[in-house]
Amino acid sequence: MQLPEDIYQRIVAAKLFMDEHYHESIDLGEISGQAFLSRFHFHRLFTRIYRSTPHRYLTRRRMDKARDLLAQEGLSVSEICTSVGFESIGSFSTLFKKETGIGPQHYRNLRIVQQQQAKAQPRTFIPHCFIEGYKLNRQ
Amino acid sequence: MITKMSHTSLFVLNQDKAYDFYVNKLGFKVNTDVVMGDTACEDGSEEQPPAGGFRWLTLNTPEQPDLEIILMPVVGLEPDAQAAIRLLLEKGLMGAGVFYTPDCYATYEELKAKGVEFKSAPKEQFYGIECIMSDGCGNWFSMTQPKEH
Repeated sequence: MQLPEDIYQRIVAAKLFMDEHYHESIDLGEISGQAFLSRFHFHRLFTRIYRSTPHRYLTRRRMDKARDLLAQEGLSVSEICTSVGFESIGSFSTLFKKETGIGPQHYRNLRIVQQQQAKAQPRTFIPHCFIEGYKLNRQ
Repeated sequence: MITKMSHTSLFVLNQDKAYDFYVNKLGFKVNTDVVMGDTACEDGSEEQPPAGGFRWLTLNTPEQPDLEIILMPVVGLEPDAQAAIRLLLEKGLMGAGVFYTPDCYATYEELKAKGVEFKSAPKEQFYGIECIMSDGCGNWFSMTQPKEH
């Protein structure tokens, strides 16, 4: 059943709030306040729309950002952990390994090697049919 | 036996603009972003790519990491073929595919708030709820929430 348009807009406003403030210590009360809904009502509607609880969504957003940062050189793993909103390096590492299959440092090493290889040998990443078909050597 | 698709290409008029649309607005992930031609020929072939190079830019949708969507500039074809593709892109006529969303109404509201241009608002169809959006680079897509059975 379709919800009223303003309800979608309010739930989306709360989601965008999480997208913007994922690195801060935000709780359900603060998030549901963005939608002008009670915590219970917001939780129920958000879960129905996104097939994920607000907490799970926020954690996934933090993990996505952590993966992005791990693929770049600069911040240490513990700095990344806190910069995306996790409070404990232990729980971050455990969750990361559970979701990705490998630890954050291992993930970082693999991504950096992959990027170096892509830069040094781009053709190992581009199907040859594209190189031939679009004459990429001559672009 | 073919089991799945690993790459698909999408012609775009401007890769930077397309990057902004797919990554910053839709939330797609960059898989590979590399320039061919800013390094020496690594495979030993004699053909040297020119300076500047070709940007190989591929993305994944957030939950489909094994399908690379190539954002392909209109290059490397015969001039008349390039002109034909550019014309279709400039007219926004390239219908490129269907994206899945768990809730069409909510995603429509979110993307509208981010400035995405829609050709049609969400509408109930036999197969689900669908709206049509434009990528601003010449392609249109269906965004569909499939009917639950």
